[in-house]
Amino acid sequence: MWRLTPGQALACREWDGEAVLYNDLSGSTHLLDGAALDLLLALRDEPADAVMLAARLAERFDAGDDNLVSLIDEMLVALAGLDLIEPC
Amino acid sequence: MLTVGSLSRAELTARLSGDGLVLRTGPFTNRIRSDVSPLIDGLALMYADYPVEPAGGFVDFHLELQRSGGLRRWHRSQVHFTYDGTTPFQPLPLGQAYPMLEWTMNWCVSHRAHGYLIIHAAVLEKHGRAIILPAPPGSGKSTLTAALLGHGWRLLSDELTLVHLGDGVLVPLPRPVSLKNASIDIIRAFRPDAVLSRPVEETTKGTIAHLKAPQDSIARALEPAKPACIVFPRWEAGAAIALDPLPKARAFMQVADNCFNYQVLGARGFTALGALIDASDTYTFRYSSLPDAMALFERLAQGPA
Repeated sequence: MWRLTPGQALACREWDGEAVLYNDLSGSTHLLDGAALDLLLALRDEPADAVMLAARLAERFDAGDDNLVSLIDEMLVALAGLDLIEPC
Repeated sequence: MLTVGSLSRAELTARLSGDGLVLRTGPFTNRIRSDVSPLIDGLALMYADYPVEPAGGFVDFHLELQRSGGLRRWHRSQVHFTYDGTTPFQPLPLGQAYPMLEWTMNWCVSHRAHGYLIIHAAVLEKHGRAIILPAPPGSGKSTLTAALLGHGWRLLSDELTLVHLGDGVLVPLPRPVSLKNASIDIIRAFRPDAVLSRPVEETTKGTIAHLKAPQDSIARALEPAKPACIVFPRWEAGAAIALDPLPKARAFMQVADNCFNYQVLGARGFTALGALIDASDTYTFRYSSLPDAMALFERLAQGPA
């Protein structure tokens, strides 16, 4: 299971499928794919794992992709590397 | 209004060597003290149209540029910069005193004026539309700026774009335009009317000359402008002119990289830059011909068809 790193306000702006996000904890600004931002927003209310997120985001992602869960897993690891989320 | 140009050389020298010349540049007051002749020459020529404030009022920046003491006074004389009692720069040869004044004035703003998001960028306005030109070194930003000033553009700044954190407007800081090396002769040829300071050789940036800001731009220094475009220029020998849209999220990151105080401002900087990107069309621009660039910028000033 993953959750947002406590203290992240997810200050972000999105234009044309790409987003910038201000990381409250590191002070860094990240350029994110719109899909990565969707994952973060889907984690805002409650923790989830990749399977749950795939279900939550089925409408926005390509639900027919067999690799969706593993793709989400990879994205989650990348977001954890930016200190935006953490395992729980 | 008292201006630098209305002071005699003796009065200007007396102020600089006494309590200081209080010079207004855009939203800032600078109290300058100096005994260095080349600096006084440059100041008298480049700042003739700028307001001088009465002594005793509020001053934003206190700058001292003085000749070295001791043996250095006669042998390879140097100029020292002191800011509020600190010395952030190494001394430079006396002949570089005027460029040093410009660098120190930039330093004061970029290190102290945190009521603004400060972008290392030129900013010019025409027909009510301001265009920001961020400036990685070698982009040809100042050459382009100097050329545009001969085509009816108003100078807000050649070096420091000030985005007001409260309302997102661009606050003018019109000061001389810094030209380097080959740009000096390019602008002399392109704008024979331009007033340039005496070129100073062998600075850390090569040969430097400054172009005097247009009188109208100085007179309108308290009139902010609204952002319309952010254009990343790149001069390239022989290149065909090309203006290409830059995705806004990428433009955001590139402007952030060109800010002096984005990190200092934290979330406030993020919000201000987001609003600036929202309000602006964002492009990359490649060019080799100044006349072609003038025509294209005129179209940008006219706005969307």
